Amino acid sequence: MKKIKILTILLAIILISVIAFLGVYTQVQNRMENQIKDYSYAMDLKGTRTIRLKVNKSNKTTIKDENGKEVEDSSSLTEEQIKEKGYTKEETPYNPEEILTTENYKKAKEIVEKRFKKLNVQNFNIKLNEQSGDLVIQTTENKGTDNIVSNLNTTGKFEIIDTETKEVLMNNSDIKLSTVMYGSNSSSTSSTNTGTSVYLNIEFNKEGAKKLEDISNKYVKVEKTEENTNETNDENNTTEDTTKTSEENNNEENKAEEKTITMKIDDEQIMSTSFDEPMKTGKLQLSVGQASTDTDTLQGYIQQASNMATVLDTGNMPIKYDIEEKQYIKTDITQEQLQIIKYVAIGVIILAVIVLGVKYKTNGIIGAISYIGLIAILMLLIRYANVVIAIEGLFGIALILVLEYLFVNKLLNKITKESEDVSINKQLKEIYKEFITRIIPIAIAIITFCFMKWIPVSSFGMIMFWGISLILIYNFTIIGSLLKIKAENK
Amino acid sequence: MKENKIRNIIILTSIIVIIVGIIITVIFGFNFELLYQDTKKVELYLNKEFKISDIKQITNEVLNNKNVIIQKVEVFEDSVSIIAKDISDEEKNSLVTKINEKYGTDLKSDNIKILSIPHTRGRDIVKPYLLPYLIATLIIIVYMAIRYIKINSLKAILKLIVSLILAQGVLFSLISITRLPISRITMPISIVVYILTLLFVTNNLEKELELNKEDNTEK
Repeated sequence: MKKIKILTILLAIILISVIAFLGVYTQVQNRMENQIKDYSYAMDLKGTRTIRLKVNKSNKTTIKDENGKEVEDSSSLTEEQIKEKGYTKEETPYNPEEILTTENYKKAKEIVEKRFKKLNVQNFNIKLNEQSGDLVIQTTENKGTDNIVSNLNTTGKFEIIDTETKEVLMNNSDIKLSTVMYGSNSSSTSSTNTGTSVYLNIEFNKEGAKKLEDISNKYVKVEKTEENTNETNDENNTTEDTTKTSEENNNEENKAEEKTITMKIDDEQIMSTSFDEPMKTGKLQLSVGQASTDTDTLQGYIQQASNMATVLDTGNMPIKYDIEEKQYIKTDITQEQLQIIKYVAIGVIILAVIVLGVKYKTNGIIGAISYIGLIAILMLLIRYANVVIAIEGLFGIALILVLEYLFVNKLLNKITKESEDVSINKQLKEIYKEFITRIIPIAIAIITFCFMKWIPVSSFGMIMFWGISLILIYNFTIIGSLLKIKAENK
Repeated sequence: MKENKIRNIIILTSIIVIIVGIIITVIFGFNFELLYQDTKKVELYLNKEFKISDIKQITNEVLNNKNVIIQKVEVFEDSVSIIAKDISDEEKNSLVTKINEKYGTDLKSDNIKILSIPHTRGRDIVKPYLLPYLIATLIIIVYMAIRYIKINSLKAILKLIVSLILAQGVLFSLISITRLPISRITMPISIVVYILTLLFVTNNLEKELELNKEDNTEK
């Protein structure tokens, strides 16, 4: 009966090992497919999206009137119209020579780095060519990569200007924080306004808040006899002010008196408006899109708002960049190299279990099979716990295998040395006490690593976390039980 | 007594290694693997699957066995990216000719650009690991201050800090002295050394704690 118990446990271990190492194959459309989840690899073992940002060398055309003022909406003007009106055309580089400095290149690199962090990208590498200013960026390839890439060459220039005089009233330096907020909108007046609205919340710093208050006092909405409260959206239907600063259809008389501000992001007009009341909170909420109940639409708005928040929060890029290259490049670590590592690891493990078998006889064989079982369960755990494997993670696996080997070796050594009168439970308890007291600082370190937003570090932390948890549980339940049953056998 | 002597020898040797390492690093800097150096890259569209080993053979011939990184590009893996420390126009032309011969492609050398890839700064490689080390070490110090109160917490903390600094110092000094390149496995090795140092220090302190306990029981 006891032999059957031991055999059952050992067979279960072998079965799990077969599943973990070889897989479970079923036929799917005339081909055999492994039903066991695949490993997730980090960019160093899989491949990277490589983006090359090149310093823009082109010119922008500005049309100025006879007073030297820039003409708005000049894109629709034909050459003839420009001549007729006495306007002049000027070609100015997007990046004048004086701004192409190493300092600005470094600042641009820092801003890209900040954007990555704000977008929660957990693995990237930015290389700067200090002579040309070009940036080569490598990041993880996944569903969100395209969105991340779209944020890289945006300048992020924020301005609130006087619509008439074009005087810059506020800019990026006044922003403290930009966040995305959403709330339900249950307006009963219009069915289109019901659902969830997404807002871009811009919080200004102390100086900015003061400026905003002054602006909202100065650019105040003029009272009208007949009010029309139709809100207007901007061209691309992205933003409108929801802090009661909506632009209204003005009657001709008041239009002349009312002063408005224009908000621009990356020189694109977001809105022109005046204020209903002084804004004392130092916060400005801009609704992104319209209220909606459709999840996909809302997701799109949230993405749009979060992109704006990222760009505004990370500062104004001093240099305009163009994306020159954007491609997925596989890792240079080839399958053959990984196979070599795998076979070396298998060789070392086989050697280690043989040593256990020779040194501790039957107990050693039990320990050896259990050791392989632990490796198998760890491999399954890594896959189903969605742990991303980086090179650091591979080292983590190796470390766990060493720790488990030391644990099993110590346990078997203790059992062999001590008299048979001492129960396995007591010996296990002693080994556990010794192991746990020595592992606590490591446990602290690996739990800290798990929470780090840097894939190589978190990969190591998570693999070590699962590995050590497994060592503690598995050795008590499986090896402990097997040795206890065997001891009872005597 | 003997243990103390061994410990002192280890500490002294470590300090010497670290000093030599610092001197060599100041004079020559670290040696970085190709991946982290200023390099040149050419990309060739083969329009068919290929073996890295075949491309390697061609690069060995053209680039005189220079160290290269060969990578497959995009999902269809029908383009190859070749990175080397330097690729001249002649070498590029020669690469194109050999690739055309091997794969029957009609690549024109004039259409293929040699792109520059800037180096990765050493501090950018190390930076993401500093915060985790710092946070973890601080929490461990708090734990040790409580755990080893009976055997002088301050001594225990000092032991930990000195061991961690010495271990990491020796690791990077050895890398510098032996001129081993800073590669993708340098930081993983650093983490493993960090964990092993923690294990080593805790093991010693636990032994001291047990001895202290035994002494107290005897008294």
